[in-house]
Amino acid sequence: MDSKKLLVVLAIVAGLVLIALGIVYWVEPAKSLPSFVPGHEAGSSHHHVKHGVAAFLVGLAALVFAWFNTGGKRTSRTAA
Amino acid sequence: MPISYFQAALLGLLQGVSELFPVSSLGHSVILPRLVGWHIHQNDKFFITFLVATHLATALVLLLFFGRDWVRIVKGLGRSLRDREIAPDDTDAKLGWLLVVGTIPAGLLGLLLEHKLRSVFASAQSAAIFLCVNGFLLYGAELLRRRAPVVEEEDDARIARTVSWRNVVLVGAAQALALVPGLSRSGATMGGGLLVGLSHKDAARFAFLLATPIIGAAAALKLPELAGSAGNGVRGPALVGALCSAVTAYLAVRFLMRYFERNTLTPFAVYCFLAGGAAAIYFAVG
Repeated sequence: MDSKKLLVVLAIVAGLVLIALGIVYWVEPAKSLPSFVPGHEAGSSHHHVKHGVAAFLVGLAALVFAWFNTGGKRTSRTAA
Repeated sequence: MPISYFQAALLGLLQGVSELFPVSSLGHSVILPRLVGWHIHQNDKFFITFLVATHLATALVLLLFFGRDWVRIVKGLGRSLRDREIAPDDTDAKLGWLLVVGTIPAGLLGLLLEHKLRSVFASAQSAAIFLCVNGFLLYGAELLRRRAPVVEEEDDARIARTVSWRNVVLVGAAQALALVPGLSRSGATMGGGLLVGLSHKDAARFAFLLATPIIGAAAALKLPELAGSAGNGVRGPALVGALCSAVTAYLAVRFLMRYFERNTLTPFAVYCFLAGGAAAIYFAVG
């Protein structure tokens, strides 16, 4: 697998994981987050909404990056 | 009522101007209440709720002011997503993605650092000192700026050609400086624009386009606070503040787009330095 393909695969995996993580942040309180996830806090019922937004947006950006890098060759724009 | 209608109107008028002028709206919102002896603190829940409304109004004004541009930009984004490429001559798509890429670092830094920075730099004294620093930064950007060549091109084509992907990350991240009361978001992006080779007019235009999603998103994220119990007793003044903010934001963006056709950041740098310095001395002595 060449480096570009590897980068695309990594971007897709990272994108999906981060979007899933974003949803987990929104749904689960801090006490229920896995202990290795930033924001985990035993006994806290706080929802890390901002962490969720951040993870979701970075995940989306990773998927967009993968989308562009799996496109065709660059051409001039014909339709305005 | 924690904030009167008079206070709301005055702070709204001030916010609309200072959000778009490169002089730090948050800094002014922190310094003014202390100067006139109002018991309003930037970390008070009701004040944050009030600021949400005024910021939302400013973002809406910017969105409407550049409405036609945003329609073109969004169409460009859609076109590039459909074609899975940014065509070399598709200025709208390039500008759209520059704005997206520039917004990501500012958004992330804002989401992750806002609370900490607010609590560390909460005092009017530090806001005054950072307003002074903002003056130095604006003047430094003027001194170090790369002279923009005079090119007969559309504004957005010139911006899309001049700003590189790496530079837009830096310019976008510079917006996060505005989390520190006293440092200006529009000042950071205009200064950054000048440093990467944009003219004053293009730097201002790019700064306003870049500011719209980040101000709007930050306000929208906190909108539930305005609708919830934190908004009790504040909604009326917040509405007045938002209307006042919208009026002055519109006048400010109209003025600045003309002003930067021929003028520089230097007068704003001098203002920040003098006003910040005077306020810092007043707070230290008084």
